[in-house]
Amino acid sequence: MCVMVPTALLVTALLFCSVNGLLGSPAAMMLGQDASPQTIAELDAEYGFDQPLAVQYMRWLGEALRGDLGRSYTTRQSVAQAVGNSLPVTIELAVWSILLATSLAIVLNTIPTARLLITRTTAAVNVVGITVPNFMLGISLIFLFSVELQWLPTTGWAPWSDGVITHLRHIIMPVLTLSSYYFGVFSIVYRAELHAVTRQMFIRVAQAKGLGEWRVAFRHAMPNAILPVITFVGISAGQLAGGAVVTETIFSMPGIGRLFVRSIETHDFPTMLAVGMLIVVSVVLMNLLADIAYTIANPQIRFDP
Amino acid sequence: MTWDIGRREALAAIGGSLLLGNAARAETPQSGGTLNVGLVNDAKTYDPIYSVEFSERVVLYLVFNTLVKYAPDFSIRPELAKSWETSPDGKRIVFTLQDGVTFHDGTPFNADAVKWNIEKRLDPAVQSPQRNLLAPIIASIEILDPQRVAFNLTQPSPGIFSLLGDRPGFMVSPTAWQKLGKDFGGQPVGTGAFKFKEWVRGSQVTLEKSPNYWEKGLPYLDRIMVRDLAGSVVGLQRLLTGEIDYVGELTPSDIVPLERRTDIVLAPIKVGRWYFLQWHVNAAPFDNAKLRLAFAHAIDRGRINDITMRGKGTVSNGPTPEGLWWYDPSIRSFDYDPAKAKALLTEAGYPNGFDAVLATPQVTMFQQLDQLLQEQLAAVGIRLTLPPVAASEWYSKVVNGTTNMTPSRWTQRADPDGLLTILFDSKGFANTMKYSNPQVDALLQQARTTYDIPTRKRLYTEVQQMIVNDLPMMPLIFSAEYGALRSNVRGFEWIPDQIPRFREVWKA
Amino acid sequence: MIRPGLIIGPLAIATTMIVAILAPEISPHSPYRSSVDMLALPSPAHLLGTDDLGRDIASRVIYGARTSLTIGFGATIVAMAIGIPLGLTAGYIRGRVDTVLVALIDLFIALPGLVLALIITVMVGPTLRNLVLVLGFVMWPPIARLVRGQALAVRETVFVEAARAIGGSRAWIIRRHVWPNILPVVASQFAVSVSFAIFTSASLSFLGLGIPAPTADWGGMVRSGYDYLAINPLMSLAPGAAVTFTVMGFYVFGASFK
Repeated sequence: MCVMVPTALLVTALLFCSVNGLLGSPAAMMLGQDASPQTIAELDAEYGFDQPLAVQYMRWLGEALRGDLGRSYTTRQSVAQAVGNSLPVTIELAVWSILLATSLAIVLNTIPTARLLITRTTAAVNVVGITVPNFMLGISLIFLFSVELQWLPTTGWAPWSDGVITHLRHIIMPVLTLSSYYFGVFSIVYRAELHAVTRQMFIRVAQAKGLGEWRVAFRHAMPNAILPVITFVGISAGQLAGGAVVTETIFSMPGIGRLFVRSIETHDFPTMLAVGMLIVVSVVLMNLLADIAYTIANPQIRFDP
Repeated sequence: MTWDIGRREALAAIGGSLLLGNAARAETPQSGGTLNVGLVNDAKTYDPIYSVEFSERVVLYLVFNTLVKYAPDFSIRPELAKSWETSPDGKRIVFTLQDGVTFHDGTPFNADAVKWNIEKRLDPAVQSPQRNLLAPIIASIEILDPQRVAFNLTQPSPGIFSLLGDRPGFMVSPTAWQKLGKDFGGQPVGTGAFKFKEWVRGSQVTLEKSPNYWEKGLPYLDRIMVRDLAGSVVGLQRLLTGEIDYVGELTPSDIVPLERRTDIVLAPIKVGRWYFLQWHVNAAPFDNAKLRLAFAHAIDRGRINDITMRGKGTVSNGPTPEGLWWYDPSIRSFDYDPAKAKALLTEAGYPNGFDAVLATPQVTMFQQLDQLLQEQLAAVGIRLTLPPVAASEWYSKVVNGTTNMTPSRWTQRADPDGLLTILFDSKGFANTMKYSNPQVDALLQQARTTYDIPTRKRLYTEVQQMIVNDLPMMPLIFSAEYGALRSNVRGFEWIPDQIPRFREVWKA
Repeated sequence: MIRPGLIIGPLAIATTMIVAILAPEISPHSPYRSSVDMLALPSPAHLLGTDDLGRDIASRVIYGARTSLTIGFGATIVAMAIGIPLGLTAGYIRGRVDTVLVALIDLFIALPGLVLALIITVMVGPTLRNLVLVLGFVMWPPIARLVRGQALAVRETVFVEAARAIGGSRAWIIRRHVWPNILPVVASQFAVSVSFAIFTSASLSFLGLGIPAPTADWGGMVRSGYDYLAINPLMSLAPGAAVTFTVMGFYVFGASFK
């Protein structure tokens, strides 16, 4: 817990220092190609870019804690508003992806089967999910389903107001792209846990009682093996942030990830700082929650020295 | 004296109406419908007094009118000013305004509004970027009566008409501007064919037909939605599905898959963007004229056109493309001659080659251009590195001198003085090359203060050749670009400033 | 674990390395030579077609192997150089040093790797050296954690107890007993890390923070080709497949002998 605050400050300080490394005045950037040097200098002074770094940082921190994340250099709009508008898109993408990955991983790996072919195939799909870079998967999906077959649109977002079917048609490829990695990873974690669980006594008892394979698998084994997967969701939050950034960029989705990439491309410092901090803090938070959930659920490790 | 532009304008108007007449006879415009315009939108404000970004003008030309407007051949036609007269000494122009025009908020449009608009731009406290365009020219504005306003100029200035058809000419409602202040940029009020309804930033702008628009019969459309695009190619996909009706800034490569489709119409621009390579010429190493000449002869402009434009652009020999009256085919730049380039490089003092940095703004066209330049220059011993520069930062680095060599591009203005002065006059505010030639300054001053077209043409031909010879920049190409529309969209025509106009567009 | 991995993995790695080393010999064209035959579809002259500047895609993919492997190995070496000593120290020496290091490691592992790499790269600029350092910096924590865990385990073995009883110095024990025992795990992790480094650097390039043009760089090529999917999809798909092939090869190899 106490690790979070220094992390946040460290990262924001790092980001703030990037101003020094960035050449060119933000005012020139804001005024565009036709502006004159005098106007640029005047705007510099107005925004206080000629102040020392520490002073600027303190000012930013104070304002941020009051909910004022400043104004974007590129759109001149409130950063807090831009973040507020983008956050729901990313959250929806993340939720769909995790749900899909988790449920598929659990269900597919619980199905009892002795057929080696199926287990080998699932194992292969796992590896593919983990190692195919999400940008390659995304672009391949776009090429196949949008360009060649023309079944799906290339952009990943349409507002719900455009209709449920339209919305789903737009979001399905990004969700597939983002969830593929997690499907692979969750499968591995889940199978290991399932393997351990099925060796335990109570499963043997259930089997001895003569309960059907499927029932043993889904009603007895699975609920006990799920836990590590759930905590793993929290732990993989960091990777998820990266995955969302790439996926949103490929599919031009108006979420936090693309906002972040755009702010980096345009050196839109207020946005970059605010979004960067938001991502880091959320990820750390999710890791923390995952740790807590695991400790609560698993009494054995509460006493890990 | 009646001035030449007036006569020309009259002829153009007659000729123009014949063309329009032809088109009109083919089909009668239908009213109604919504037009979805796809735009890579970097708009920051829709307040014309502060507007700087290229894409903002798409909306500005719909919500506002200008005092005069550009015809498709860049000649000047009446708009809010229905006629004008220039005094014999050329220093006073009296504009007669249209009657019965009101702003969307009910404020009447009259001479007071015009005076207010121009003075706001001239006011140092307002800090409008247009101030240094108008201040050297305008001495004062005089109201003669509600429909007539006089511009008293510091010197004869034919260039003012070009300015009054662009940003400085957008007439803003004084009442609304004073009431809304900084918020006016998000709720602009003008006299235009469309009222500004809503702006969802990062998403779209909604414009609705202005019911009492003063140009009778216009507009045909009920509504225009300007939808943000992440890029032109993404926009292309949406055009194909019918989500949007127009997408612009397409390169010749982008349109290859479109050529077979019957539901899409391509609209090539008439006058291309000017691409050139520029240097800082008042400091080492590029103050060395032989070095720059070596660069010039090493560059194969034809090949650049063939590869980046599929041959559909034109090789540039100077700042002006064919089709504009101040173009002259006699203006020639330096030919592709790698052997000569190598020899010059040695003469310039670099027998073992020369290393330099070429700024690469992260825009596809510049990236392609830079890589081709690097390849061509490497062949004569000039080794370039191409560090990427964020597109938004690039220009400020050029301005403050961090970058001393960069590709550049500009769109044409309706008056030759527009581009040539800001780029090549010693005091030009966009003269990032730090180029200074007193003869050029003198010629430009002469040319911008006379209304006689043949004289101006002669002067501009001379000065352009002089600039080309001095080589503060090496001209490369004029681009070929396309707008693509769904085939049921009619009435679209390009103006050479590359801003798409939709006022007179209708849907079949 | 995955037995086919023991064959596929080394095969893929060997292929990529051979391609990278022999690039000038096996490449049909120069990767930098433009031509007026832009965005051409595959033909005998250009097996994968050409890109938007008429350059041969196959040649650029071949040369791209050099960039990717350099970054992949470089970053992993940096990460190991940081992670192994720290992990060994924490795991073997324990005590307060360990507590501090564990906190540090947990902190860094929790951070979003790609996001952090993006921020730092934007600050320092995307050059080959910087990318190697930034990725190495992002990758060292999992390595340190792994090494620490292994060191902890080995510490309690009979060999080490005996060595300590004899009176051997810590450094000697680590070198003689601990290190050889953790070597297999480290080797496996090396391969997995290379896989991750290539994956992440390709993602960075895809987002625009890769090695500057005209260097053939797989992620950057995927990015440039995105606009032309409808004309020559291989401009994106070929380098993308190369990344996938290489990443998969290293990962499978590393995972197979864990």
